[in-house]
Amino acid sequence: MGINWNGKRRYIALLLLIAGFVIMFTVPPVLPVIQLPGEVYPAGWNFLGLQMTNTLMSSIIVWILIGLLALYIRWRMPKNSHEVPRAGFYNLLEMAFDGLYGFVLNIAGEKWIKFIFSMFFTIFIVVLLSNWQSLVPGVDSIGFLHAYVGVEEESGELIEKDGYEVVAMGAGVWRLNPACPWVSPLETATYTEEQKQARINAGCMTGTGIPIETEEHVEEVEAELAAVEAEGGVEVAAAESIESAATADATEAAVLEASAEGESAVAAGESTDHSEEAAAEGEEHSEEVDIHNLHFEPGDPAVPWQITPFVRPASTDLNMTLALALVAVVATQIIGFRELGPSYLTKFFNFRTLFSSPLGGIDVAVGLLELIGEFARILSFAFRLLGNVFAGSVLLFVMSYLIPFLPWPFFILEFFVGAIQAIVFALLTAIFMNLATQGHGAEHHEAADEDHHGELPAEASNIGETVHA
Amino acid sequence: MEEAVLTAGKAIGAGLAMIGALGGGVGIGLAVGGAVQAMARNPDFTGTLQTNMILGVAFAEAVAIYALVVSLIILFVI
Repeated sequence: MGINWNGKRRYIALLLLIAGFVIMFTVPPVLPVIQLPGEVYPAGWNFLGLQMTNTLMSSIIVWILIGLLALYIRWRMPKNSHEVPRAGFYNLLEMAFDGLYGFVLNIAGEKWIKFIFSMFFTIFIVVLLSNWQSLVPGVDSIGFLHAYVGVEEESGELIEKDGYEVVAMGAGVWRLNPACPWVSPLETATYTEEQKQARINAGCMTGTGIPIETEEHVEEVEAELAAVEAEGGVEVAAAESIESAATADATEAAVLEASAEGESAVAAGESTDHSEEAAAEGEEHSEEVDIHNLHFEPGDPAVPWQITPFVRPASTDLNMTLALALVAVVATQIIGFRELGPSYLTKFFNFRTLFSSPLGGIDVAVGLLELIGEFARILSFAFRLLGNVFAGSVLLFVMSYLIPFLPWPFFILEFFVGAIQAIVFALLTAIFMNLATQGHGAEHHEAADEDHHGELPAEASNIGETVHA
Repeated sequence: MEEAVLTAGKAIGAGLAMIGALGGGVGIGLAVGGAVQAMARNPDFTGTLQTNMILGVAFAEAVAIYALVVSLIILFVI
């Protein structure tokens, strides 16, 4: 408030551009893993007994934001008609609310405006807040570091996927090193000297042909693998882990770590006598290696690393969009029944004219098509939002990866796309609701509406006209 | 080798799936073109026209988005 920013704000844009260049060279961006279902948080994170995913986290943030917004509006709302609201943000909200109310009034008409507008605005604000989350820096890029390994289904062996090496940034924070995609020892063997030299010049740890600084890491991982496999009931692997237990201190650490996973693993590591017993015990409770129980020290170059973002916009998860679509379609049926009563069903099962009219059969078919259309709406709602926002967030981080110094135009594009998709979702809900309240006897209803117009003031009758236009 | 063939197949499939976006693009163009002409002739109805235009655009876009979802599924899920 105190500073006069006139004419100085443009330097902010320049500073941001320079910051973009600086970041491009100091912390180059990494293309994240692109995955359609929400990424699961590490074990131990639960929400009301649900498996925590980063898209669920995003919806929790949306709830909190909506709660705060409600409190803010309550706080800023003028107490009486003489008070003028002065807060800029409150005025903005009021303007948006007013504009949208008029917009919906145009579509829905007076009678059901309360129900329809409340649905409209709720859906709008939920979708808007979750769409816009992809614009926030850190979303999709800051998260849990995890070893990017999987377990092959048939053999139960550990397989490494494409990941990166990590660089410590201090204070327990790590970042992926985009200059060094992780290379397996097998692949390193096929490298030429030049390639290896290039990797060394880039400061990489893997793919250089030089053994990784200590053998401990590899052994540790091997032993751990063996221990976990022993838990899974593979006796041969258990025997292997016992051999390695005799050789190095490092394996002790591994066994200690494994001990957290269950008695059986410890037994397998410590003495031969118990190994069979332990293996048998292991067989009982788990057949396969559980990836989540594997623990790697952060920064371990023996495995590739990737990031599970803390937050990913909720609308990039089919669960959220499908839930919203179901709410919208079910609410549409509810308002239809409330307006028309049981005769709402004749929209779908229209047997009234089957025998009285020569074209009665067509009415039946049309009704059934309407029924199918109602289900198709769920899918079209869900996929429209999912497709737009998911594609948008992919666009954002691919562009941030390709042109790290100037991705803003796409952020501006996504800003509008997010708003338009929120409007479209909410608007379609409002329109379908309005359609549901209009029964089959269209002529009859229109006549009733005409009568109604006489009583309304001029402006309102205009609205009535536009509804029928 | 097999993996390379798989990747190539995925890329080709995703590209082919996106052909569906063609129809969406044409549809949106027609809808907006028609709406803008109508608005130019009769500016009083801009509000109504805009509403209907956005609706029509959303429906036309939905088809393209289905194609997009299919290609995303081919790329990242299968």
